[in-house]
Amino acid sequence: MYQDLTPEKISLREWSRQFRMVGDSEIRQFKYYNNDEWGIYLSPPATFMVYGSRQLKKLKFDNSLAALRLWGFTFNESERLFRARQSGKRIIAAMGDLGTVPVIALAFPDCIPFYPDCTWWTPFFNESTVLLDKASELGTPEASCFVRSTLAAFHKMAYFPKPDILFASTGASCDDYSCIMQMVEDMGYELNWLEIPFRRQRRSLHVPEEHTVAESGFEYPKRFETYLVDEYKRVWQKMEALTGTGDLEDLNASIEKNNRIRRLVNEIKDLTQTAAVAPFPALEMMIIEFGNLYGYADIDEWLDILKMIKQTIADRVEKGIGVLASDAVPLAWVTPTADPLLLNIVEDLGGRIVATEYVINQALTTIEEGIEPFHALARSFMNASLIGSTEERVRQIARGVDSGKIAGVIITNMLGCSHCAMETRLIEEKLKNVPVLAIDIPAPLGITAQLRTRITAFIEMLR
Amino acid sequence: MNDMLTSRERFGLLVIDEQPDRCNIMPLITSHAATVKGMKLRDYYTNGENMARAQIATVEKYEHDAISIFSEVGIIAEAMGSEFEYPENDLPILRTPVLEKKDIEEIKLPSPRADGRLPVYLEAIEYAYAALGDRIPILAYIPAPFTTAMMLSDPNKFLIQTIREPSRVESIVDRSLAAAIELCYHVIDAGGLPIIVDPLASSSVVSPKTYRQYALPSERKLVDFLHRYDLDIILHICGDTSPILDLLPQTRADLISIDQVNMQQAIDKLSSRVRIIGNYDTSRLAFSTPEDIEAEVRYMVEGALHAKKGYIAATGCEVPIKAPEKNVVAFIDTVKEVGWYWV
Ligand code: SF4
Repeated sequence: MYQDLTPEKISLREWSRQFRMVGDSEIRQFKYYNNDEWGIYLSPPATFMVYGSRQLKKLKFDNSLAALRLWGFTFNESERLFRARQSGKRIIAAMGDLGTVPVIALAFPDCIPFYPDCTWWTPFFNESTVLLDKASELGTPEASCFVRSTLAAFHKMAYFPKPDILFASTGASCDDYSCIMQMVEDMGYELNWLEIPFRRQRRSLHVPEEHTVAESGFEYPKRFETYLVDEYKRVWQKMEALTGTGDLEDLNASIEKNNRIRRLVNEIKDLTQTAAVAPFPALEMMIIEFGNLYGYADIDEWLDILKMIKQTIADRVEKGIGVLASDAVPLAWVTPTADPLLLNIVEDLGGRIVATEYVINQALTTIEEGIEPFHALARSFMNASLIGSTEERVRQIARGVDSGKIAGVIITNMLGCSHCAMETRLIEEKLKNVPVLAIDIPAPLGITAQLRTRITAFIEMLR
Repeated sequence: MNDMLTSRERFGLLVIDEQPDRCNIMPLITSHAATVKGMKLRDYYTNGENMARAQIATVEKYEHDAISIFSEVGIIAEAMGSEFEYPENDLPILRTPVLEKKDIEEIKLPSPRADGRLPVYLEAIEYAYAALGDRIPILAYIPAPFTTAMMLSDPNKFLIQTIREPSRVESIVDRSLAAAIELCYHVIDAGGLPIIVDPLASSSVVSPKTYRQYALPSERKLVDFLHRYDLDIILHICGDTSPILDLLPQTRADLISIDQVNMQQAIDKLSSRVRIIGNYDTSRLAFSTPEDIEAEVRYMVEGALHAKKGYIAATGCEVPIKAPEKNVVAFIDTVKEVGWYWV
């Protein structure tokens, strides 16, 4: 039986060496869709590097079996989606809504929701401009954000299978991404649009009306809930038409399962961020947070992986051991980094991520149970920071900063992202009590020595 | 029609049982790359960067779907102590097999970063991977244990020992297997996808009984080891493998590359279990005309394109070093014309 070694971050080569100690029965033990023939996924990072993920050669990984499982599972997602379709499951594309459509889709038997948007990681993990170049060829401006690689993926149909149904958000979700989705529609895909309302605050309304407050403290007009309920019911009806079934009890069950994941992830975050020594690396933690959106196309297996990760982290916390030095400088990270290498670099240079705001907080809050499920989903979604004002987002980040555990904030500014262009400056200006470093995320392979120097200087200054 | 996918994407779909835009084209362009680059053969197989640059130039010229890091099957045996001569314009020649000087117990396992030309291979893989690894699979040819075993010995004596001294042959093959596994660890970490080549296990060289007794079990062990990595493994045996076709799936290889075998027979026997690679006659590439090649390749591809688990258009053996470039172009262009799935 494989035993975890003293925690540390190790390279791809070191993982390959360590993988020699993993037994065949352990490899066969973990599988997605419970399939023995093609569902095995426990491989060292080198496997995915051989298949083109070139950045893995540069990254450092947690050395636990739980982390290996996490990497194997997430890197297997593309194959998993194709296998899902081959085995008769339905593929549900959710775009831009960030967290709710999958909860609905998972209430239907053999339906696998996924986010084509996640293709934005691919150019970085592959250190490749293949998708970005293709997107430009297809008509997206060079200066649009990395999510344009989604368009290329739809064109190529080599990264995920043709979805059985597509849901796309517009309105207060990202307008740039809505343009990409329109281009997907122009390719002949039939999109089902749902509109996300902008979360207006009381004082910005001309006619006073009843407001309420979401769990995360965001205020919103009560009628938005009803509006979203209608949108989600349309999603439900489309799913019913697709599958020929539909039982609201199954939606309650899906909410309950998604909540289990959300609670587990929150527990993992708490454990990791409050421990004296960082028990798990920031990169793996980011992958864990993003898994909340849809469970990486096999929610049951994902739940099991999270349990194993939590156990590994809890063991480390109990023993007071971890993967970073105990004097690592505590930082908050705002807006997800498209380039995973940056999280590694910040840790290598002496930082430790103890708070994150990856614009997916609606997928981290639990959904109310025991009430009408569509209302529960609508209320939960109102926690999204992306659909409100920058001011609200700043206030939320500032609350974390004021808790005193954060020495500095890193904000990532995505090349071509219109939101970032506006928000990063504002956030930087308004976070008065804490030093802020804004990083422009360059194109793949674009991290320069100069950027490293800026991060080093920032961390040293905080120290 | 224009390609819609990169070679990397195309191969990625094939190995998960999906049809790509067109069939993969992977003629075994190995040392022929030196000719394309205008390089002396010795410069090709003794310098990793040269080997990679020649392969890259070849892929840029022909636009086929794989880089093939390889020159000859002696590399593991050489790293274990067999001595080779390096002619300036020919492939290495086995001069003194190590077992002529030492006994099997004395042969050390090679260190792939230090011994023989294994570092040359690893450097070539790393260079090619850094240059093109996001767009094209980097195939790293690994001599199978049985073939290496024969290169550790005097080949004639070895063949007699397969009948008279089975336990000795088994221990030589086992030692070769351990060396192949050691090399694979490094090949994978460098970014190469191991492809197992076992030319001396061909029925043109040994009987089906000998194949079953020595080569097959060691091929299977190597495949099993590589499957721990969840890699899709190609097994290539050149020459005539008709008598052992039924045995090949027992190796558990995911893709089987055939040479002098009736393609229809191979499809009937294998295609529901493995993906088939093959099998254009390389002597035709050397001596035929583009017009004849076009007609023959068209016939081959049309017959094999819809093999149940997938098909890769390839040559049955290595593209001859001096094959006229126009003939190789004719092969590749013809497959690109008739090998489409997405229409
Ligand atoms: S990075 Fe910015 S522009 Fe791109 S999808 Fe995200 S929010 Fe929209």
